[in-house]
Amino acid sequence: MANEIRSDWWGKASAGAILGFGLALSLVGLYAYLGPGGIDAPGGRYSLMRYLEALVWIAVFSFCFLFRSGRAAWVWLGAANLIAFVALFACRFHFFA
Amino acid sequence: MIGADIIKIYKTVHTWTGITCGFALFIAFYAGALTMFKEPIARWASPPAVGVAAVPLDDAPRLLELVAAAHPEAREEGITLHLLGHENEPARVTWEEDAPHQEGQAHEHVHWWATLEPDGTLLAQREEPSELGEFINEIHMRVGIPQPWGSYFMGVVSLLYGVALIAGVIVLLPSLVKDFLALRVGKNLKRMWLDAHNVVGITALPFHLAIALTSIALSFSGELWSLQETVIFGGRQAILDDRDNEPFRAPAPIGEAAAIMAPSQLLEKLKVQVPDFEPRYMVFKNIGDKAASVRVPGAERGYVGDTHLGGVMLSAVTGELLKDSTRPSRQDPARRASETFYGLHTGQYAGAAITWSYFFLGFSGAWLFYSGNLLWIETRRKKARNGGEVEQSRSTRFLGSATVGVCLGCVAGLSLTIVAAKWLSGRVADLDHWHALVYYAVFLGAVAWAFAWGAARSAVHLLWLCAAATMAIPLTTLLAALFPALGMWAHGSAATLGVDMVAFISALCFAWMAVATTRRIETGPANSIWSVRKPGKALSTPASIPVPVE
Repeated sequence: MANEIRSDWWGKASAGAILGFGLALSLVGLYAYLGPGGIDAPGGRYSLMRYLEALVWIAVFSFCFLFRSGRAAWVWLGAANLIAFVALFACRFHFFA
Repeated sequence: MIGADIIKIYKTVHTWTGITCGFALFIAFYAGALTMFKEPIARWASPPAVGVAAVPLDDAPRLLELVAAAHPEAREEGITLHLLGHENEPARVTWEEDAPHQEGQAHEHVHWWATLEPDGTLLAQREEPSELGEFINEIHMRVGIPQPWGSYFMGVVSLLYGVALIAGVIVLLPSLVKDFLALRVGKNLKRMWLDAHNVVGITALPFHLAIALTSIALSFSGELWSLQETVIFGGRQAILDDRDNEPFRAPAPIGEAAAIMAPSQLLEKLKVQVPDFEPRYMVFKNIGDKAASVRVPGAERGYVGDTHLGGVMLSAVTGELLKDSTRPSRQDPARRASETFYGLHTGQYAGAAITWSYFFLGFSGAWLFYSGNLLWIETRRKKARNGGEVEQSRSTRFLGSATVGVCLGCVAGLSLTIVAAKWLSGRVADLDHWHALVYYAVFLGAVAWAFAWGAARSAVHLLWLCAAATMAIPLTTLLAALFPALGMWAHGSAATLGVDMVAFISALCFAWMAVATTRRIETGPANSIWSVRKPGKALSTPASIPVPVE
């Protein structure tokens, strides 16, 4: 039964809730720096970001149950978070040095 | 093809996210449906006042100058000139002042209105307006839990609700073509309820996705804002915030004296410079100074979120356009997108048709959570019966009572707190406090009643309570019109009579549900939580689910 998806409710749900939020914040942060107009885009950007964060958060939380196990969810989403946050802090350093 | 194991997992996800959020979502959706008519309800609840018409627009400059001279704080912070003549506008001009408070502490505002006496002198008075509309909105946003916990709670609920939506769609996808719009009315009532639940959920899915998304962003608004500041911008967001606020900032006074232009002339100047703009009211700042300004919030038709934050700023002296980057057609693309999200949440577009659609979508949402709970109870009941049990398990009885108490308690509580606006006005010192007292007393009382009597009996009692409480809304207006000695009022505008009319029809609906539920609890399968008969004999009746209570 190696291919069967495990339920791992708490493992997957915690990954979706916590790492989903991390991914939301970091990806939207990257959009703030690298999106059209860049960091000097008009002020409307900053209220839009909250809605985009909600979008990413719901999406990751909803689809995290597709991971094979809670462990897999934490590993994959953790890696995605790591990459996104490194990129975000690089941007922060670059634009606000 | 989605595997059976995935479907099974998402079925569990859908069930548990749905059950845990169902109650809060019912309240949020029912109260949210009412907030679609927040303005007519506020007008209905506003006691008779001096009114806007007491001072013609041509006399407004004198009134504004007198207020500015006598109330320096208002002159600086802004004096609102009303234009519409609605019942919830107490007089031609109003303003807010800070309540006495410690420096740097959070504080309340006190409200003032002003009019001209027949001899042309100023009459200014402090009076708190009816906050009924705000109270209903408060219940909608935070289901009555105090801040900040209410926002945190509803943020989490909204997140789980979003997950429940997507999980529900995944579960339904494989059989969507077969099941969609197939409302199998027949002996298998549970099948029929499940079909109805699916049809309502799928057809309103875009609405629900928009609401879930925006509710998370709005509930966690402050928290997301400060996290963005620390994590994304590294504390440098202040500069960006400043730029964000620039379009709303009035020019600073320059110290040279100048008279303001008459509001009617200003409105004409506005019309020439910004066609297709419908002004709602005007806010004057720094009257008497050459740099005096007037901000005119209003709607530009044809845009989603057409009124929120949209506005135009003119010089109050020359009528020259100062700032208009916040009105929909001038917003930058990102703000337009953000305002569109907000407008999709509040149903602020395309006028009355959308307002009514959102009103009914709100009810359909409330019904969705209600029917979801019932389906869960019914599934449990069948499982238990297959296991040979005759009595309902404690968890199904608990959920049944809670569903009835919370849902109907919210309905009855909101109706009675609306009624209280007329009965208690002028009779109690702090009406807002009483709005809360009435609502919580009815709500908690209903929950207690539902647990004391069980779902079946209490559903009938509480539905009659809902019918009576809602019927009291038009009856109060009728009594006020017939017996002026009661000290209440009956406005005659279409909007306020509309409130009475809708309440009347709703009360009849609740009464019909009460009758239908009575029939059900007396004749339905005895082993259901919806029966008052003793279980044991009726086991041969086909499995069924209660008649609609919503």
